[in-house]
Amino acid sequence: MAEIAIRGGTTDSTSVARAARIRRLAFNDAFFRRLTQAAAIIVLVILGGVILSLIDGSLPAFQKFGFGFFVNQVWNPVTKKFGALAPIYGTVVTSAIAMLIAVPLGIGIAVFLTELCPPALRRPVGIAIELLAGIPSIIYGIWGLFIFAPFLQQYAQPAIIAAFGNVPVLSSLFAGPPYGIGMLTASLILAIMVLPFVASISRDVFGAVPPMLKESAYGIGCTTWEVVRNVVIPFSRVGVIGGVMLGLGRALGETMAVTFVIGNAHKISPSLFAPGTTISATIANEFTEAVGDLYTSSLIALGLILFMITFVVLAIARIMLMRLEAQAGR
Amino acid sequence: MPAGTISPFYAARRWRNRIWMSLSVVAAAIGLIGLFMILVVLFWQGFSGLSPAVFTQMTPPPGSSGGLLNAIVGSLILTVVGVLVGAPLGLLAGTYLAEYGRHTRLASVVRFINDILLSAPSIVIGLFIYEVVVVPMGHFSAIAGCLALAVLVVPVVLRTTEDMLNLVPNTLREAGAALGMPRSVVIRRISYRAAKAGLVTGVLLAVARISGETAPLLFTALNNQFWSTDLTQPISSLPVVIFQFALSPYKEWQQLAWTGALIITLAVLALSICARALAARGATE
Amino acid sequence: MNTAVNFNQSAANSKVLVRGLDFYYGATHALKNVSLSLYDGEVTAFIGPSGCGKSTLLRVLNRMYDLYPGQRAEGEVLLDGKNILAPDLDLNLLRSRVGMVFQKPTPFPMTIYENIAFGVRLYEKLPKSEMDGRVESALRRAALWTEVKDKLKASGLSLSGGQQQRLCIARTVAIKPEVILLDEPASALDPISTAKIEELIDELSGDYTIAIVTHNMQQAARVSRYTAFMYLGEMVEFDETNKIFTSPRDKRAQDYVTGRFG
Repeated sequence: MAEIAIRGGTTDSTSVARAARIRRLAFNDAFFRRLTQAAAIIVLVILGGVILSLIDGSLPAFQKFGFGFFVNQVWNPVTKKFGALAPIYGTVVTSAIAMLIAVPLGIGIAVFLTELCPPALRRPVGIAIELLAGIPSIIYGIWGLFIFAPFLQQYAQPAIIAAFGNVPVLSSLFAGPPYGIGMLTASLILAIMVLPFVASISRDVFGAVPPMLKESAYGIGCTTWEVVRNVVIPFSRVGVIGGVMLGLGRALGETMAVTFVIGNAHKISPSLFAPGTTISATIANEFTEAVGDLYTSSLIALGLILFMITFVVLAIARIMLMRLEAQAGR
Repeated sequence: MPAGTISPFYAARRWRNRIWMSLSVVAAAIGLIGLFMILVVLFWQGFSGLSPAVFTQMTPPPGSSGGLLNAIVGSLILTVVGVLVGAPLGLLAGTYLAEYGRHTRLASVVRFINDILLSAPSIVIGLFIYEVVVVPMGHFSAIAGCLALAVLVVPVVLRTTEDMLNLVPNTLREAGAALGMPRSVVIRRISYRAAKAGLVTGVLLAVARISGETAPLLFTALNNQFWSTDLTQPISSLPVVIFQFALSPYKEWQQLAWTGALIITLAVLALSICARALAARGATE
Repeated sequence: MNTAVNFNQSAANSKVLVRGLDFYYGATHALKNVSLSLYDGEVTAFIGPSGCGKSTLLRVLNRMYDLYPGQRAEGEVLLDGKNILAPDLDLNLLRSRVGMVFQKPTPFPMTIYENIAFGVRLYEKLPKSEMDGRVESALRRAALWTEVKDKLKASGLSLSGGQQQRLCIARTVAIKPEVILLDEPASALDPISTAKIEELIDELSGDYTIAIVTHNMQQAARVSRYTAFMYLGEMVEFDETNKIFTSPRDKRAQDYVTGRFG
C-alpha cells in the first residue's frame, strides 16, 4: 500500500484531508482484497457443498443396500430394491465406445486442418468446428430421437444383424430386435457430440508445433504422414491427451444427448442394440417422479457415483499429464 | 544413397503417406458432413414450425397448438439471473487467483477445485441445488434454477478471468503502482481495462453454455405450463419444454420442440460469434 | 548478370549451379536474378545485412519453400546437372541428398538414439547392430559421441543447446547427404559451442558440399573457402573468401565487410 510521506509533519487542512483520503483508500484497498479472497473461498465452499450434499442425500441408500448397491442390477421402485449396476455399466460402455469413435476421427480432422486443408478454407472450417462444439447437447438428443434412431432401425440395424447373424461373438453383440434406440445409438450420438470438442483441441495443439521442427523433419525427407506421426503427434501428445480426457469427462456426464435414445431399461444385455441406461439418463428420467425417500436417495447415490467417476478420470488425466511433461524434460 | 531411383522401400513410404492422408480427409468429410446434416435437419424442422404464435402464445396443453412464450421468457430470466449471480463471483475469484494470490496455497487449491467444477456433470450440480435449496424451500422454484445455472457459470468465468488477467503484462501494473495507485485501483483501472475483451468473452461463453443446459433445471426450476415471472415458483424454460415435448406422442408438441431447439441453437451461435468477434478485436487492440 | 561475380558458369566441379534465380513471397520480389556456384566439397558462406535474402536462397536449395503456398521460385538450380526446380521432382528424395540444419536446435521429441535412427530408417532397413554402428558414426562425426554414449536413451531435449545442435548435425549427416545447408547454425549458441560447430564444419568439408548462412563475418572468414555477398535480394559479389574480405570489388561489399553498415 502506497504510504505517501508527508513533508514536515504539518497538520494544515490539506495534509489532514490527504491523510483521511489515504486512510479511505487503504480501507477500500483492503476491502477489495478481502472481497476477492472471499469469492475464492466461496468457490471452495461450493465444491465442498456439492460433495457433502451428495453424501448426505445418498446415505439412506447406502445404509440400506451397502456394497450391494454397486453390483445389483435390479432397479424396482415397487419393491423398493435399487441397484446401480445397469446405469454404471451403461455410462462406462457408452462413453468408451463414443471415445473410441470420436478420438481417431477428431485427430484425423485436426491433421486435415493443419496439414492438408487449403489455407483459404482453414479459418472457416476451424470456426465451424468450434461453433459446433458449442451446440447444446439437447439438439443432438432430439436429432437422435427423430432422425438417427429411425434411420438405424429401418436400414442399418437390420443389415448389421443379418451380416453378423452367424459370426460367433459378434452375433450376440449385434443381436436384434432392431429397436433403433439403444446402447449403440446412444454411443454414436455421444461420439458425434464429443467429436467437435476433440477436433478443436487437437487442432489447437497441432497448430502450436513450431514450424522449424516440422521443417527439420521435412528436411531429412519425411513425407507428411511421417512428420505428423513422428513429430507433430509426439510433440503435442500432452495437449491431445488433455483434450481426450476432457472429452471423456464430458461424455461420462452427458445427459440430454443420451436420455432420448438409450431406451431407459435397467438391464445389462450382451447386445449393443438393446436398450440400457446411464446414470445421468436414469436421474433425468426418474427424479421428479421418485416417490419415497429411498428412491430419491438411490438416485442421489447414483449422482455421487457419477461425480466420483468423473473426478477419478480427471485426476488420472492430471497425473498422466504431469508425468508426461516431466518426462519430456520441459 | 538412392539418387533419383524409386526403390520399393521408398514406394511403400509414399503409399503409406497417401493412405493416411486420405484417411484424414475422409475423417474430416465424415465429421463435417455429419455435423452439417444435423444442422440442416434442425433448421428445416425448426423453421417449419416458426410463426408469430411461437413468440406470443404460451405452451399448450397436449393436443392443441400454441407457442413458447413462457418458455422463452423463463429461459431469459433464468439465464440473466444465473449470470448476474455467477459472473461477479467468478470474476472476483479469478481476480484473486491472478492478482493477489498468485503463489498462495489457497490459489492452487481453488484452481484445482475449479477444474473439477468445470467438468462436473451438470446434472450433479442440479442434485446439489435440489438438496440445499429446493428441499429447505419445500418446493421447486425459479431461484433454484438460477442458482444451479450460476454454479455452472462460476468455473467458466473464473478460468477465463484468470487466464486473461495473467496475460496483462506486469509492466502495466508497475506503471500504475509507480504513480501511487493502490493495488485495488491498479486492478480495476488497469488490469480489467486491459483484459476487457477477454473478460467479456468469458462471460459470453458462460452464457452460451448455460443457455442450452437442461439437466440442472429438471429438478430445480422444474417447469410451468403458464406464464410466470415469480422467482419463488417453478418456471418454464426452453430446454425443459423441449425435453418434455419431444418425448411425448403429440405432433404439435413435437413440432414446438424442434422450433424451440432451433431458437436455442440460434441464440447460442449468435453468442459464440459475438464472443469470437470480441476476442478478435481485443487481440488487435 | 553482375560483373563482380567471379565464377565459371559451366565449371565441371560445380555441385550446385544456380542460374538466374528469382524468388517471390506472394507479390514481393525477394531474390533478383541470382547466380552462383557451390563447388564440390567446398564450404561457401552467404553473408549480407538482414533481409538481403541469404536464408531465402538457402531454402530454395532444398525446396523448403514448397511447404508454403504463395512462395515460388523461377529460374534454374542444377544439382549435378539436374534442375531441382522442376515441378515433377520428388522432394523427399531431393531432401535426402540436400540436408539442412536450422537456426535453432530442433531435436525431435524422441530419444537421442531415435533422433538419428529415425532418419536412417526412412531410407534403409538395417539390423540393430548395423544401426547402432550408424548412430555411433554419425555422433562421432558430429563430435557428440563421447558426451552422449552413455545416455542414448535419454530424450533429445535433455541436452544443452550446443549439444542439441550437434545432434541435429549428426541427424543430418546420418542419412548421407551430398550437400549440407546450414542456416545460421550457431547464432543461438554460446561461444564455446560455436567454436565446436565451426570445427565440425571444417572436418565435414571435403566429404560434403556445404553452404552456410551467417551474419557473423568473422565466422564466414574462418570456415569458408568461397563467399557470396548479397544485398537487397541481389547477388552482389561472389568470390574466394580471402579476396572478398581483403579486396572486394563492389563498393557495397567493401562497405559491408569494413563495417560501415549492416
